[in-house]
Amino acid sequence: MTCYLKLPINARRRSSTPQWRVSALLLATGLLLPATHAWSDAAPNATPNATPNAAQQLAVGVCATCHGARGISNLPKIPVLAGQGEAYLTAQLHAFKTQTRGDADAIGYMWGMAADLTDEQILNLSHYYSTAAAPTPATVSTRQAVTAQITLGAHIYTQGIADRGVPACSACHGPDAHGLGDFPRLASQHAAYITKQLLSFQNTTRDVAVMHAVTTTLKNAEMTAVATYLQALP
Amino acid sequence: MTATHPMPTLHTPRWLTLLAPLMALPILLYAPLATAVPSFARQTGMACASCHTVFPELTHFGRMFKAGGYVIDNLKQVKDMSLERRENLSLSDLPPLSLMIQVSDTELAKPVPDSARAAGASQNGTVAFPQQVSIFYAGKIAPHVGAFLQLTYGNDSGTIGIDNVDLRYADMRVLPNDQSLVYGVSLNNNPTVQDLWNSTPAFGFPYVSSNSALGIPYATQIDGSRGQDVAGISAYVFWKESVYAELGVYRSAKQGTAGPLDSTSAGGVLATPAPYWRVAYETNQGPHSLMLGAYGMSFKLYPDVAGCPSCDPPTTQGYGHLLGGPSDQFRDLAFDLQYQFLSEPHTASLTATHIHETQTLNASVLAGVAQRLDNTLTTSRVTATYYYKRRIGGAVNAFSTTGSQDDLYIATTTHLPDTRGLTAELSYLPWLNTKLSLQYTAYSKYAGLKQNYDGFGRNASDNNSLYFVAWLAY
Repeated sequence: MTCYLKLPINARRRSSTPQWRVSALLLATGLLLPATHAWSDAAPNATPNATPNAAQQLAVGVCATCHGARGISNLPKIPVLAGQGEAYLTAQLHAFKTQTRGDADAIGYMWGMAADLTDEQILNLSHYYSTAAAPTPATVSTRQAVTAQITLGAHIYTQGIADRGVPACSACHGPDAHGLGDFPRLASQHAAYITKQLLSFQNTTRDVAVMHAVTTTLKNAEMTAVATYLQALP
Repeated sequence: MTATHPMPTLHTPRWLTLLAPLMALPILLYAPLATAVPSFARQTGMACASCHTVFPELTHFGRMFKAGGYVIDNLKQVKDMSLERRENLSLSDLPPLSLMIQVSDTELAKPVPDSARAAGASQNGTVAFPQQVSIFYAGKIAPHVGAFLQLTYGNDSGTIGIDNVDLRYADMRVLPNDQSLVYGVSLNNNPTVQDLWNSTPAFGFPYVSSNSALGIPYATQIDGSRGQDVAGISAYVFWKESVYAELGVYRSAKQGTAGPLDSTSAGGVLATPAPYWRVAYETNQGPHSLMLGAYGMSFKLYPDVAGCPSCDPPTTQGYGHLLGGPSDQFRDLAFDLQYQFLSEPHTASLTATHIHETQTLNASVLAGVAQRLDNTLTTSRVTATYYYKRRIGGAVNAFSTTGSQDDLYIATTTHLPDTRGLTAELSYLPWLNTKLSLQYTAYSKYAGLKQNYDGFGRNASDNNSLYFVAWLAY
């Protein structure tokens, strides 16, 4: 691979570029090649020692591209992981790995990413994100339409819609929406992500019996309202 | 490729001698482009949409995958490990192979003249079956090392040859505050093929174009002119997935020639190693991604002149191509921009680049093939792309090349390279790895003029072309 950097004898004689310049470039290149932790060490299947450090390497080197350096994604369709419940994260990573969570982006992104994670890596990654500080919600718009959505969302979240059999979300996810046990934290989650999940529960691409029952009669506008409310919660 | 065109004879009219190199140039400029490769999807287990908006345009994740050395994988590995738990081997049980086929049809507004018969015209409606077939080895080689290697059969060359190659070593460090620092080295054969954005020449729009239509007759050196003609090594860093810097150096590495390059080497040989640099800043916020960057390269080239033009009398035989003495210098400085909006169901992007080349033609003037010592050549391109559900969409691209008038160096009737126009493309992707495109290119100026640019009645708009291409990758 380096043969084309060797100057032919006649070119060496004629070259008007001092050879030290080339040497300096090659040296600079060499300096950038410390034999340290490999990128692939950060890749899911190549971690012989799944330590918390390796989890950080994995999170920063691979997951961060979509989920943000500390699990705070700035892409609306990619979930915030920072501050999420450890048990929930573990369950989801297993669901991706075993291909039992079937919403569109789970298939397109996470089935591949999680395929070769070891149980130890899953535990360490879950711990890494669950202990990261949850994001501060962005300032909420004071536009009337948004305020109305938040009011409706808060009502559905705390009281449900009794005449259509929609229970209060807070019963399982907690009054502050910080999650309880296996039930995920929803506060300060991207609204677009929550809406997408509610739709996938409804159409069973993400097949969770409890959530399918909850969302069966929810209208799209109501899903958006709940999601907007939750995104604004600290 | 010029060898396929008959040499002018005494009876060849002047317009034909002018047209012959112009017909060959577009083929050089529109050399087959590399593409998205399904072997990456097989290797990572992730669908095309993770890395691409619509192939081959990269998303932020795709850029990180490339910067990381193409090594993320989720395939079962054949492994070997030392007692110290150091990985000696990590081989995927499936080789990362892909195949790509392009089939096309091109209609020109007016057929080009027959390249051999003075009074004749070539056939219009060129079916290319295939236009291109490529085999890729694209994926991880070892824990730190990945490859994007393309072998291509092209209907224009009628042979199989090496196409774009990008071999990488990459690694990542976690800095304080969970900041990432990706760094690596790329060995490649086409300046900018290693770049992460779609605003630079190698992976810029048009991603595929006709090789039987007339393209832009002159291009700057960094704008694809040296693809597969050089080999280079570059080192790069990418900090916080945001600040990118790269430095490299290239040498001539011609294909189809044996041994040390000598006077039998046509096409221009680099006199000294050519330095390449690239800086970029990318910021991502919600569905928006913005990159502002600059790149450049400096070339010292022996002119592609055979014989001894300075002899008395000048001769074109017995001396081979120039490979010594003074050289021409080309300094390319470019700025680029990329904006992407990625959401569902809409994806949109805007890419732009402006390349300015300063030419100091010491050797060409001495050899009698250039009139002026100091010339310039400037190319600008802007492309807007939109897709609905990554399934149906299109792009509009405006292009312009302008430069110095040189009676000897520029082989057009006006001796100007100036060419500009628009390309519009409509595409439909029934599946993520199959693209059907209809592309229309319209020229408002060609080789310096709108009308009668060749002195024989051919107008710029006669080169307008309608091109259909089916592009399959699996």
